[in-house]
Amino acid sequence: MVSTSPSRELLVGRLRSERSGRAARIAGPFTPILLLLVWEVASRSGVLDARFFPPPTSIVGTFADLVAAGTLQNHALATLSRVGVGLVLGAVPGLLLGIALGAVPLLRALFGPIFASLLPIPKIAILPLLLLIFGLGEASKWVIVAIGVFFYVFYNTMGGVLQIQPIYFDVAKSSGASRWRTWTTVALPAALPSIFTGLKLSVGGAFVIIAASEFVGSRTGIGYLIWSAWGTLSVAKMYVGIVTISLLGYLAGLLVALLERRLVPWSRQ
Amino acid sequence: MTTVSAPPIDLRGVWKGFHDVRRDQTVIAVEDVSFSVGQGEFVCLLGPSGCGKSTLLRILAGLDRQDLGEVEVDGHTSVVFQEHGVFPWLSVEENVGYPLKVRGAGRAERRRLVAPLLELTGLTDFRGAYPHQLSGGMRQRTSVARALADDGEILLMDEPFGALDEQTRLVLQQELLRIWQDSGKSVVFITHSVDEALTLADRVLVMSARPGRILADVPVPFGRPRDILELRRDPRYGEITYELWRLLRQGAASASPDDPSDVPPDAPSSASPDQDVPAPSEVRAW
Repeated sequence: MVSTSPSRELLVGRLRSERSGRAARIAGPFTPILLLLVWEVASRSGVLDARFFPPPTSIVGTFADLVAAGTLQNHALATLSRVGVGLVLGAVPGLLLGIALGAVPLLRALFGPIFASLLPIPKIAILPLLLLIFGLGEASKWVIVAIGVFFYVFYNTMGGVLQIQPIYFDVAKSSGASRWRTWTTVALPAALPSIFTGLKLSVGGAFVIIAASEFVGSRTGIGYLIWSAWGTLSVAKMYVGIVTISLLGYLAGLLVALLERRLVPWSRQ
Repeated sequence: MTTVSAPPIDLRGVWKGFHDVRRDQTVIAVEDVSFSVGQGEFVCLLGPSGCGKSTLLRILAGLDRQDLGEVEVDGHTSVVFQEHGVFPWLSVEENVGYPLKVRGAGRAERRRLVAPLLELTGLTDFRGAYPHQLSGGMRQRTSVARALADDGEILLMDEPFGALDEQTRLVLQQELLRIWQDSGKSVVFITHSVDEALTLADRVLVMSARPGRILADVPVPFGRPRDILELRRDPRYGEITYELWRLLRQGAASASPDDPSDVPPDAPSSASPDQDVPAPSEVRAW
């Protein structure tokens, strides 16, 4: 099969050696560590102001103390449960209304403008109102996260349903599918990639909203941890909070991505 | 079942139009079409794109309704759609089994019924693949296999091989003939390719440009089974090819000279379809 003419071997050899950027690809993942190292040295040598940029090793120490005392876990759990409850409270109606308004032009014409006019409100701006209505307890946190999540899921779901190619509905109809079957076997799977786009945006948005909400209206949660550290000038603690909430957000996003790969195996990467 | 003499498909004086609300203009897609398709017959509808042949097929499939005229379809219709007709979220096997699924067949039953169809269409090794992992030819095989699973007495095919490259198309045409030969199904096959119509059909119905009318009903003299390569050596092949092209040119010349969508709403209506339009539009079309 494989011919072994000299020019062919020459070409194969040349193509093989063309591996540009290989060193960069190997080194790439380690550059953040390098940054931490530079930070550590700069902070200890006084090049960086250690009051604002404490050496990473001291942050790790604070992290260990907070974990040992159980404080960090409690705050993380509080934040996670608020995000979790808020996600469900926002995503479920967002999904249902998104499908309904995407599918029924009359509903879209009637109620579309309501959602469109509410969309531009920065969600965090209504926190004081929600605190008045729901008090300082958990309910106000759930609701503000839910409102933020709702809009992401609602608009992406509706867009997904509207973009379904008509030919898919033709296939369903000519195959003898009932209306309900058409929705479960065509509309929902066809809109699923968009729904997941909405969910991924939601997770990011939910952590932004919850962090800001916990700054002012709470005595628990990572947001509170960061805010209270400001009050006591314990900057290392602040960094622990920042890293922790970033990590939580990243992991939650990863979870959704895993779920997507599971449920939407046909979507190309 | 009706008597043997009643054709499975019979259209008489069928019209279909669309009204574009935004431009406030009406487009006649299908004009006074009558034809019938006999039991086990393979009929090609040949015409330029936009001539209303897909609209006719949608009417036959029950996806659309004619505005005027009679449409009798005796038997269940199964449709092979243009490219993009397979569901990207289902594997090949699930796509083929879809009509069975919506009718309530269980997983085991679907597997049993789908397996021979996958074998027949050469998809057995790809049964777990998703459409985006397949070539265009494989996707259309899936579409054909799904229509076979649907198992209507009438097969409606809407330019199923239109997006494929020439070589793949020839292979699939030959396979389609082989599959159809043993099935006894009546077929209405839509195409804009003269070669494809000649290769496949017992009869070719030539349609004009919009508004779509049947210009001629041309019988194809080649016997069955056909070798679609040897067919091309037959001296009659060239003759009928010429005849079909001549009809198509005629149809283009006698249709409204411009696409109606390009005409401003209040422009005077162009020549009536029956009127003989002079040469300039003919020159433009060819």
